[in-house]
Amino acid sequence: MTRAIDAFVRGLGTASALLTAVMVAVTVLVVVLRYLFGTGAIALQEVVVYAHACVIAFGLAYTLQTNGHVRVDLVYARLSTRTQRIIDLLGHLLFLLPVSAALLYLSFDYVAASWRIKEASPEVGGLPAIYLLKTLIPISAALLLLQGLALIARIIGQLISGDFGTAASATNDRPGAEL
Amino acid sequence: MSWVPIALFGAVFVALLAGYPVALTLAGVSLLFALVGIATGHFFAGDLGFLSGRLFGVLTNPSLIAVPLFVFMGVVLERTRLAENLLRGLTRALGGRPGGLGFAVLAVGALLAASTGIVGATVVTMGLLALPVMLKQGYRESLATGTLAATGTLGQIIPPSIALVLLGDVLGNAYQQAQLSQGVLAPKTVSVGDLFAGALLPGLVLVGLYGLYLLWIAWRHEDWAPGGEADLKIRGEADLKIRGEADLKIRGEADLKIRGEADLDLTGEADLGLRGEASLVVNKASAAEPSLVLSLVAPLVLMVAVLGSILGGVATPTEAAGVGAIGALALALMTGSLSLGVLRDVSLSTARTTAMVFFVLIGASLFSLVFRGYGGDELVQSVFTDMPGGAMGALAVVMLVVFLLGFMLDFIEITFVVVPIVGPVLLAMGLDPVWLGVLLAVNLQTSFLTPPFGFALFYLRGVTPDHVATTTIYRGVIPFVLMQLLLIVILLAFPKLATWLPNLIYG
Repeated sequence: MTRAIDAFVRGLGTASALLTAVMVAVTVLVVVLRYLFGTGAIALQEVVVYAHACVIAFGLAYTLQTNGHVRVDLVYARLSTRTQRIIDLLGHLLFLLPVSAALLYLSFDYVAASWRIKEASPEVGGLPAIYLLKTLIPISAALLLLQGLALIARIIGQLISGDFGTAASATNDRPGAEL
Repeated sequence: MSWVPIALFGAVFVALLAGYPVALTLAGVSLLFALVGIATGHFFAGDLGFLSGRLFGVLTNPSLIAVPLFVFMGVVLERTRLAENLLRGLTRALGGRPGGLGFAVLAVGALLAASTGIVGATVVTMGLLALPVMLKQGYRESLATGTLAATGTLGQIIPPSIALVLLGDVLGNAYQQAQLSQGVLAPKTVSVGDLFAGALLPGLVLVGLYGLYLLWIAWRHEDWAPGGEADLKIRGEADLKIRGEADLKIRGEADLKIRGEADLDLTGEADLGLRGEASLVVNKASAAEPSLVLSLVAPLVLMVAVLGSILGGVATPTEAAGVGAIGALALALMTGSLSLGVLRDVSLSTARTTAMVFFVLIGASLFSLVFRGYGGDELVQSVFTDMPGGAMGALAVVMLVVFLLGFMLDFIEITFVVVPIVGPVLLAMGLDPVWLGVLLAVNLQTSFLTPPFGFALFYLRGVTPDHVATTTIYRGVIPFVLMQLLLIVILLAFPKLATWLPNLIYG
């Protein structure tokens, strides 16, 4: 089950990551259209916004899975793997689950109101799908919740078996370090 | 209940030290405070209802869309090994002179600063590449490590840095708030472009200060930063005896007698009369590595184009970032390091960094909602207005707090958590937003450099050989920390250094 969740979140995360390249291409296209052809392209600009929101919404849970969220590791880095996992477990239970559940709950009315009127872009020529864009908020919360449950299950398994050998969260693999 | 905001801030800080991801710690602690408050009737549940709207604003914020685009550009540049080639090329070109290696490091740090903007990465990359060369050539350990740590942090202050994008957006909001609270109905705005323009001259001054220091070292303490191979130019006849290694370039005719082994690198024609054994390796001008000109000019052109189009008002920072990313891709194509696989890696790395940054912003949104719900902003305001010394006194306190927080937290957290709290109050006291932003950026950069807790030092320690003592690294950065403080003093004395260029450009 945890593997299925991991694979699902990974699939969404890696697929939506490709949208960053789309953002680059469309942004440049907007600039080219403006300077070479003198035309504004509201819809294209909004495509970049939508892609950007998707990258974040689908990327949050995936980045959590791959341990890419920044930590203050002054102390953490010096602890034993077991203590690190216990801190992670407590954090998942006390912070991750309540926060993602609250996000899901709090955004419900907000998104429902938008769906009711099929909210469209306030700009002339903009995309008519603000309600879909807003739906990304509960979706990302649900993905975080799901990923959180999978992580909790895995840590409990590790604590019981005493084997912490998984590479997925063994080191603080900050994306910044790749830059 | 006026102590609750303070307790919230304290609880967040302590919880952060446990090492659980910052974004969730911020959000989680704040949520727990809100829930307890709702249960005991001290917190208005409706306040949390604003969260969705805030998050939607975060996701669709047009100026923050520059973040993934700049990150994309940076990752592509990193994959093309542009920084490495540049450093190698400059090392070869400048390494012969005293202090030359130091200058090579400074130039690469300043030029490529913008492409990373994340302290750890620059320090690690440059440390791995340049430190062994510097130490081998006999650089004083403290000077070598100090130079590396300092130049590695330049990415914070030299535009177009990601840190300045985030800070520009947060300050923009704070400025609006400050003016609205004073009843200004048509508030002036401050943008990411303003902050880029504001940070440019102070950044260059800082690079200049570093450069002067290196010059002074090369002049007064040549043995701290010795030159490498000798660079001899001989016209007419000469009788040379070379012991050890040498790198000979001969134009015109020459009569070489070589005893022992030699590694001949021949370009063009040569007439070799060989006696005895010889093993010849004829290297054509090595084409695999892009020339120094390409690796020097390319990033320069890219930076000038990106920055120029923003400052010239031709493009928004977001558009310029997109164009910069395409430019980086073109460079990668030219150096043959682009493939579909690389593009996928770059996308994934960009998406992860973007998610990381925005998650902190999301956590900070919840934090500031709860902090405000408990009356935290009124508390901060009353503390600052009662403080002796007025705006300058308040600024001094904020600078000190930010400096200390910089030991624990990264730029992102401080920008999203602290600046929204103190920014509106300071700006309402009449401080210039661009000036404040540049001061904060330089201050944080200094904090990352300052022993014993500075971020950059930890990262550098990680790539420094064990025989270099940590105290040596500390000693090495002290002159650079002093230059940072000098820049802050200059900025305090001459705010125009930061505000002149944005005023000129944006009026």
